[in-house]
Amino acid sequence: MIPLNWYLGLSAIVFSIGLYGFMSQKNGIRMLMCVELMLNSANINLVAFSSYNDDMTGQVFALFSIAIAAAEAAVGFAILMSIYRMRDMIDVDKLNILRW
Amino acid sequence: MAMENLAFLIPLLPALAFVLTFFLGKKLPSGGAIIPIVAIAISCVISLAITVGLLQNPEHFVTQSVHWFAILNLGILIDPLAAVMLSMVSFVSLLIHIYAVGYMSHDPAKPRYFAETALFTAAMLGLILSDNILQLFICWELVGLSSYLLIGFWFHKPGAASAAKKAFLTTRVGDVMFLAGIVLLFSDIFTVFNGNLPEGVYVLQFNEMFKLIPDLVAINSTILGMEVSHLTLVTLLFFGGAVGKSGQFPLHVWLPDAMEGPTTVSALIHAATMVTAGVYLVARTFPMFIAAPDSLMVVAYLGAFTALFAATMGIVMNDLKRVLAYSTVSQLGYMVLGLGLGAVIGAEAVGVSMFHLINHAFFKALLFLCAGSVIHAVGTHDMRLLGGVGKVMPITFATMTAAALALAGFGIPGTSLGFSGFLSKDPIIEGAYLFAESTGNWLPYLFAISAAFLTSLYIFRLIFMTFTGKPRTDYGGHESPSSMTVPLAILAILAVVFGALTRTSFYHFIEDNFVHLDIEALAELGGYHLAHHGHEPLLVLWMPLIVAVAGLVIAYLIYNRRVVDMSSIVSRNNPVYKLLYNRYYQHQIFVEFFSIKIIYEGLALAGFYSDKMLDWLVNGTSTLLIEAGDSLRKFQTGVIQHYAAAVVAGVGLLVILIKLVMEVF
Amino acid sequence: MLPILSLIVLIPILFSAVTFLTKTKEQARISALVGTLITLVLTLYMYFSFDSTTAAMQFEEMANWIPSLGISYHLGVDGVSMPLILLNAIVIPLLIIYTWDDVRSASNRFYGLMLAMQGAVIGVFVSLDFFVFYIFWELTLVPLFFMVNIWGGSNKKHAGIKFFIYTHVASLVMLLGIFGLYFNAWALTGSPNMGIDHLISQFQFFESGILRDAIFLALLFGFIVKLPVVPFHSWLPDAYSEAPTAGSVLFILLKIGGYGLFRVMLPMLPFTATPSLMITIMGALGAVSILYGAFLALAQKDLKRMIAYSSISHMGYVTLGCAGLVSLSVSGAMFQQFSHGLIMSIMFMSCGVIQTATGTRIINNLGGLAQKMPKLTVIMVLGFMASLGLPGLTGFIAEFLVLTFSFINVPIYVIIALLAIVITAAYHLWALQRAMFGTFNEKLGEIVDISSYQTLSMGIIALLILYFGLYPSPVLDMMITNSEKIVSLMAVMGV
Repeated sequence: MIPLNWYLGLSAIVFSIGLYGFMSQKNGIRMLMCVELMLNSANINLVAFSSYNDDMTGQVFALFSIAIAAAEAAVGFAILMSIYRMRDMIDVDKLNILRW
Repeated sequence: MAMENLAFLIPLLPALAFVLTFFLGKKLPSGGAIIPIVAIAISCVISLAITVGLLQNPEHFVTQSVHWFAILNLGILIDPLAAVMLSMVSFVSLLIHIYAVGYMSHDPAKPRYFAETALFTAAMLGLILSDNILQLFICWELVGLSSYLLIGFWFHKPGAASAAKKAFLTTRVGDVMFLAGIVLLFSDIFTVFNGNLPEGVYVLQFNEMFKLIPDLVAINSTILGMEVSHLTLVTLLFFGGAVGKSGQFPLHVWLPDAMEGPTTVSALIHAATMVTAGVYLVARTFPMFIAAPDSLMVVAYLGAFTALFAATMGIVMNDLKRVLAYSTVSQLGYMVLGLGLGAVIGAEAVGVSMFHLINHAFFKALLFLCAGSVIHAVGTHDMRLLGGVGKVMPITFATMTAAALALAGFGIPGTSLGFSGFLSKDPIIEGAYLFAESTGNWLPYLFAISAAFLTSLYIFRLIFMTFTGKPRTDYGGHESPSSMTVPLAILAILAVVFGALTRTSFYHFIEDNFVHLDIEALAELGGYHLAHHGHEPLLVLWMPLIVAVAGLVIAYLIYNRRVVDMSSIVSRNNPVYKLLYNRYYQHQIFVEFFSIKIIYEGLALAGFYSDKMLDWLVNGTSTLLIEAGDSLRKFQTGVIQHYAAAVVAGVGLLVILIKLVMEVF
Repeated sequence: MLPILSLIVLIPILFSAVTFLTKTKEQARISALVGTLITLVLTLYMYFSFDSTTAAMQFEEMANWIPSLGISYHLGVDGVSMPLILLNAIVIPLLIIYTWDDVRSASNRFYGLMLAMQGAVIGVFVSLDFFVFYIFWELTLVPLFFMVNIWGGSNKKHAGIKFFIYTHVASLVMLLGIFGLYFNAWALTGSPNMGIDHLISQFQFFESGILRDAIFLALLFGFIVKLPVVPFHSWLPDAYSEAPTAGSVLFILLKIGGYGLFRVMLPMLPFTATPSLMITIMGALGAVSILYGAFLALAQKDLKRMIAYSSISHMGYVTLGCAGLVSLSVSGAMFQQFSHGLIMSIMFMSCGVIQTATGTRIINNLGGLAQKMPKLTVIMVLGFMASLGLPGLTGFIAEFLVLTFSFINVPIYVIIALLAIVITAAYHLWALQRAMFGTFNEKLGEIVDISSYQTLSMGIIALLILYFGLYPSPVLDMMITNSEKIVSLMAVMGV
């Protein structure tokens, strides 16, 4: 059996990649994808602990999480689509008319 | 008896006439003049009837009183003092109203004129018959209001608007002192009763106040290291009110300027009514004055000084009405001096002063109405442009001369022969001599006798410059209509004979005013030693006549015969003339320096800037908060990555913290 | 019996809503007039059945609202509030008549706010529960804020927000004071109760003297900012002068600050730890306001600002009269509130007429208006004379009572106030002389006198000033009854 620490390590790497991507990217779609990565890293953790502890609750939570991620992606992409229609770009740095 | 019950109508009828004339005057012939004339005539008849009743039965005063509000009442007290004032005021006011029908005939605003004079008369009559000090104060202020309205009657003239304001403000200074006197008096009465005012007694009624005099005089305060009786303070504050209303130094400045109104108004204000209110106030509260240490001395000195001070300015004025205005101030000085003599002659002082007040009302009203007659005919006030008017206006000339002789005081000492002004001024000067003899204060006497000389000089200067000689310009006058000359004639007769006819009975009548009070005991409270008339030296008796004749002769020589060339004296280079002509620079001192520089530019603008500062503080607080918010919101950059970084940093910090805490435990 | 107090509060608010919904100006002003006239009739009915010989609450209404917090819907009137309700009920219909043909402002929103204001102010006067009191107290801010912000002058935004925030901050301090009373009384009695009388009666049992003084000062601050008193007056000149004429008059009718002094402060005063200090504070603030306001008014060039400062000066008499602590000085202060409402209404209305007719309020740019506007001049001279304290008009009665009877306890402050009387006369007469008298300033062009609607409304107020000046008893008697009760409390404490 693969030890728990390997799963946790993978999850940490995926999370870090997601976080790095989120913080370095300006394109809205890329940022959303990075958020998905971070959510999935959390899912890996949930599933790993679930199987390690023989408790199904963790897997149920992972399913919830995936559903939420899907909903979030749907809303997020919808917003980005309409921004793209108005401004011809999805660079979040330039969306600052409500600032100050 | 019936007449006494109608006493409340005396001020009410003119007040009603004010309302009716004000709103309906336009629809009536001659601006509704008939309404106030009838109203004042009825008031006059009631007043005279009450006076006659009092003459027969002097101790039967007319008193009426109704509850007003709280602990105050409205009431009527007609004693001999009030009765003679009521008769005089209503009578003179009636004559002036009749005269004004002719004088104001060309003015478009007649209804307003007659309404305002009716209000003025109502206020004055109300003042006289008040039975308590507060009601007197209320009418006193209403008199001030009416004089404001009347002096500013031709409000489109900037001069009139400004003179009206000046009159109101200057007398207001006195009024505030009067009010302060009432406030102090009330708090002292409160002290006397230990805070529990007796039920059903109106403590501000004169009768009640006089009963409390011995208690009031005992209350003392230390002011500037001196022990001062509160009664002295109260009476001096009252006197401050009188100084304002009766044009005594230094609050006399409004009176000459008040000539901006129609001449009839000047006659009404300066002869019969408004200016006598101050003298009347002192006479009314005389029992308090005589019980108050030092008050009467102040009164005597100030009166004598004013008499002289105003007379010196009278001799250089070129405006017909201004000469008369300064003459009024000077004569009021005599009346006030007369009251001050109470320090020596006791209650008789009230009679002496009131007698002069009544006589003065007749001859001064006459002088003003004659001047009005001249102005109406020739259209100018400036005596330098006149001369020889006597030929065109013989009636006016004759009546004016009678008035001048009365003012200057011609008569034979020691007898009842003489013009009314002589018979009333002479006792004041004699009294001043007695005052000097018994107290050692000679200044009032010297002031009074010098003023008598100057009085004669300025009034005959006026007569000679205006009525005799050759016309200096082409003014083309005519004698005035009979509605104007008849009042002149009536007043002239009174000015000549009133004094001689009533002299002895008048003094007795006024003395009865204080029969209910022990004046001598009160004088002892005030520390005054009453003296009795001795035998004055013959020179003292004849002195007033001598100086009056001297004044007449000098005026005749200079202004008629022209034996002295006036151009050397009347020049801007002569410092004395310059000082007098500029009226001792009062305008510069009071208006330009005190009012404008100190009050307006100094205090008001200082206040203005301090308020700006205060406002700046308030606005500054809000600006500070807004600025702070402005800089703080810069943290909200709107860049998502910054927020994410902050979250990561926060989580990192939390992990480290937890780690540290775990290690500690 | 009719719940008359609820009616006179709710009817204006109801008609306010109706007025907002109207479509045309005609409908709006008729609906507003009907609403205020119903209120007036009810108020007059209440006034005539009012017993002025008792100091107790009358027409009381009481219902539980939030029992768990001790909050109840408790209304009542006595001699302190009755005259002020009467003042509001009389002046606001006249104000509607005054603005009848005012094309600029008269609209559904305008009259709606006016009625909402009336309901809120009367609500403050009748509430006997601090919670209800505070709700109405804060509600009064809203209509005034919009009045200034929508129909104000050139600097309206600044003035509106300044007024709102300044007085709101003061109200919050007052709210702290109310909480202080409420929670301490709760701790003391073990049950919550927001009743004003209840809290005041518990105040004396609070143990800590510092706490009592702090509560007193917090409440005092809330009230004197509304009054206002120097140095907390900076909101007033801006707000009064930027507001439209009707708004300024509504400000004038907002007599809740002085009302709070009588209703809350004076009964608490003897139980503070340092009553003499509190008296000194109130007396000094009053006297300083009188003198400072007068000097400031003298320095103004704008007629409306001058009137605003004169209002500060007049309100000083209210504080001074309270500090006098004699029943007649307190009654004088109450009467000053009533009289001031009438007098200042005329002053602001006159000023509004002049501004509409000539387009300016700068006194030096006017001149000789009396020749073109004789009717206005008569009314305005009467108003000015009343304001400078001429006997025979209401202002004098109030000032005389305050000055005379305050002198007994706080003589120094009365002397300061007396000094201001001449200054007061000076700026009034100066303004009259420059604006109304003298030669007509031809640059002003054609000028018409006041309309008949304006003559009617201003004339009625002028007559009231004269009537109550000659015969103050109809409102003064009930004030005296109540102030005697307030002062008798002091006597017990030996203050």
